[in-house]
Amino acid sequence: MKNNADVIIIGSGVIGNAAAYYLAKKGCSVIVLEKSESIGDGGSSRNGGGVRQSGRDKRELPLAMYGIKNIWPTLSEELEMDVEYYQEGNLRLGKTDAHLNVLTGLTKNAVDCGLDVKMITGDEARAICPYLSEEVTGASWCPTDGHANPLLTTLAYYRKARQLGVQFITGEGVVEIRKIRGKAKQVVTENGVYEGETIILAAGYESRELASQLGIDIPMTQALLEVLVTEAQPPMFYQMLGTAAADFYGHQSTHGSFVFGGSSGFEGVNKDNGTPTTSSITAPCICRGIMKYFPILEDAKIVRTWAGWMDVCADMVPVISPVEEVPGLILAAAFSGHGFGISPTVGMLLAEMATEGKTTLDLSAFRYDRFKAKI
Amino acid sequence: MSKINDRSRDLGDYIPGADDEMIICRCEEITKGEIRRAVHDGMFTLTEIRRYLRTSMGLCQGQTCGRLIKGIVAKELGISPLDLEPAMSRAPMRPIEMKVLANER
Amino acid sequence: MKRYDVIVVGAGPAGLSAAIEAAKRGLKVIVFDENVKPGGQLFKQIHKFFGSKEHKAKIRGFKIGEDLLNEAEAAGVEVVLNAAVVGLYLDKEVVVQLNGEVNHFKGDAIIVATGASENMITFDGWTLPGVIGAGAAQTMMNLHHIRPGKKVLMLGTGNVGLVVSYQLMQSGCEVVALVDAAPRIGGYGVHAAKVARCGVPYYLSHTIIKAHGSDYVTGVTIGQVDANWNIVPGSEKEFEVDTICLAVGLSPMSQLLKMAGCDMAENPAKGGYVPTCNSYGETSIPGLFVAGDVSGIEEASSAMIEGRIAGVAAAHRLGFIDALELEEKSQELERALLSLREGMFSPENKGKEVKKTEEGYLVSSNLLTKGYLTAEEVLTYPGVTQSSGIHPVIECSQNIPCNPCQDACVKKCITIGEKITSLPVVDETASCTGCGMCVAACSGQSIFLVNEDVEDGTTAVTIPYEFLPLPEKGTKGIALDRSGAEICQAEIVEIKNVRAFDRTSLLTMKVPLEMGMKARFFKCVQEV
Repeated sequence: MKNNADVIIIGSGVIGNAAAYYLAKKGCSVIVLEKSESIGDGGSSRNGGGVRQSGRDKRELPLAMYGIKNIWPTLSEELEMDVEYYQEGNLRLGKTDAHLNVLTGLTKNAVDCGLDVKMITGDEARAICPYLSEEVTGASWCPTDGHANPLLTTLAYYRKARQLGVQFITGEGVVEIRKIRGKAKQVVTENGVYEGETIILAAGYESRELASQLGIDIPMTQALLEVLVTEAQPPMFYQMLGTAAADFYGHQSTHGSFVFGGSSGFEGVNKDNGTPTTSSITAPCICRGIMKYFPILEDAKIVRTWAGWMDVCADMVPVISPVEEVPGLILAAAFSGHGFGISPTVGMLLAEMATEGKTTLDLSAFRYDRFKAKI
Repeated sequence: MSKINDRSRDLGDYIPGADDEMIICRCEEITKGEIRRAVHDGMFTLTEIRRYLRTSMGLCQGQTCGRLIKGIVAKELGISPLDLEPAMSRAPMRPIEMKVLANER
Repeated sequence: MKRYDVIVVGAGPAGLSAAIEAAKRGLKVIVFDENVKPGGQLFKQIHKFFGSKEHKAKIRGFKIGEDLLNEAEAAGVEVVLNAAVVGLYLDKEVVVQLNGEVNHFKGDAIIVATGASENMITFDGWTLPGVIGAGAAQTMMNLHHIRPGKKVLMLGTGNVGLVVSYQLMQSGCEVVALVDAAPRIGGYGVHAAKVARCGVPYYLSHTIIKAHGSDYVTGVTIGQVDANWNIVPGSEKEFEVDTICLAVGLSPMSQLLKMAGCDMAENPAKGGYVPTCNSYGETSIPGLFVAGDVSGIEEASSAMIEGRIAGVAAAHRLGFIDALELEEKSQELERALLSLREGMFSPENKGKEVKKTEEGYLVSSNLLTKGYLTAEEVLTYPGVTQSSGIHPVIECSQNIPCNPCQDACVKKCITIGEKITSLPVVDETASCTGCGMCVAACSGQSIFLVNEDVEDGTTAVTIPYEFLPLPEKGTKGIALDRSGAEICQAEIVEIKNVRAFDRTSLLTMKVPLEMGMKARFFKCVQEV
């Protein structure tokens, strides 16, 4: 087993795995270190699978649009594994005037950025998705949005990168990133030391602790979010769904099960026991939310609930950035709950950043040193 | 480092078995061959197998197949089944209708 | 939110016992069970239990279940049925599915007694309808009064496989064979013997190769396995059956504990993935206890004691009793538990071949491979004498935790002694009255009364009989030996069925003199 490579990636989430794949494709040697026993055990396997442009911060929009145009449509072929990508549009639903005001504002922002999104009536929404309740009075509609299976996407990047020779090591928690003669070079774990010319830190919330050892702070916190899964239902609809009130979001998967995320209102202050635990009140709350929009699902059986931490950046967009003051270090963290949809693009850009120093898309909005006091 | 951590470990070639077509996970209809191939694709933990194939994600949540899958994966990896941590147990312990879960008291 | 001192999950033997002990000490206790009926597996257990008086020996399982329910009611335990627990959340919160709602409960202590589920093994055709767990077969027969099939093959010769095979025959099924991949029968010899004498063959070192049928089971092929678990070519045997029962072990249903965040470990000695806990059954989460199969596969007798220990310990944790009372009571229960865990089938002996009893008697290899003692072997054990006149013949040859026969005999013919795993010894000098109490008291159905009448040239053999319909006095039939082989004509001369026998009938059959130590079962001719 080798201990050095061109690039060491800390974190085998979808971001780390995608970066590993694109780097390997460029001919780089890569080692990916993962603290958990399992690949992609953090937010990458614990998200709603949205591949959305609508509702996104405008700084992120170019990344999302690039991926949906250039990467997602052929990703299953490229990785030789079905990542269950559907581009059937995104409906963001509203039931009240206040909801519609929110949706109209979001829609206007997106249109200004050049996105194909519009407001539609309740009946138009029901024409797209006939299972919606009569309570729905309007929606924003983005036909080019969609969803994919995050578990499979994360593992597909891993699988393909592994085939290309990327060395993955699980159960290998990183203790320290060490500078050698002024350059980030060594990655120290509980079991050994790895060396690389470039180190990509993509360890989710835990990136904060590791970066801070090098004097870099990524201002972020954590929130524990929950998702529930139903037993398989007959194929009904494949739009990605959300609501203006954020009662729930989700979609039907290839398998037939519905995957719905949501909140109880106590996210960010939820208790845990050191692992992402579900609370007793969130899933019932999500169910009540869903049933108002989809009464037809009231008899669907919930077979599983799960929780995952979202790393929340101070300004709700990620840090994707080289750190010039610590040469050799690249940060990719704080994705704030919407990293999955842009992960292929980010993986590609990280590979460019590590090898060429310049990137296809401008990433200046995601620099690590953008955080300034308000006055 | 345990044997499941180095994901570049050489498992040898995948050799088709006579019973590869046998269903192991009844709820999701996953065969022994699919599970064995998943190991060769790099899925070394029960959690990864589950996310990759949907084994143990059906109505029984692995009550029947969990033990069987563990044996198959361990054999493919050349390790003891005791070295494989079972996948997480998640609520609800029994499938429950949305309208019932929504109806809290 | 509703709060209880103790919330118990599972109304089986462990859960009810825990609830009783806690409630008796003043705790407010509620028990949830997902089933329609309480009792866990107890109400399926129509056989008499082993152990000693304190373990409720010679009482049938369902009666123990009834007693436990009465005891729980008297102690003020609230038992809620049709109540599936959704999850065990932080701060000892139990969420329960109840009458179309989910209800939130908090417990100052929680006792999880969720039991176990049946293991499956795979073979060609294992998913065909007709392949069922032995426990499932027992549920069908004994709870729902549905016969699982007509012709059954049983895989697994542990106590579950043996007991269920016998019950299948009691319900009118034909058991064509008992099969086990191990080279020796796993369960008690006495259980094996009562099946063997009905004529069921054992195939040790055999396994199922294939279940036949396209829509449901129509047959099964078994084959012998070699030391490397490969099928020996040419050893295949086919049986026409409509049901294949699998009795290949149980796994603790410990998911709730994993969800709660308890420290867990794979423990082969305990049958699977179990929470680590102390001697009171308290897990790594203070106030969260486990008892019964969920903490390690054993049987109902030990589950009940573990439950009582957990209940007492919960009472102590919540300050209802002092340390002294905890110590005294738990030590008493611990002793009872230890006595069950002694002998040849103790946890330490699991998987080992024990060649001699503690007293030094050789263990019969016939018993371990064919399910019965030979006529010669029987004579070597201390429960078998050849005195003249009516006397008990106790064909008990293994150190198993059981002693009701000792108390059954008012004439003190039978001695087991302090250690309940010792072999029963028959005192030839004591005078047997032929009352039959020992025959009915033997949970293993291994005590017979033999009375040779040299002048008449016949021997009267009294056997325990638990089949219906009962033959009548005067019924002529055929006597079977311990292997189930037909050996001679026999005539029923007496049928005794008194309340104290608890539904074990005593048939006395007259056979030729020399068959007295061979004839051990009776087959009505009409049935042939």
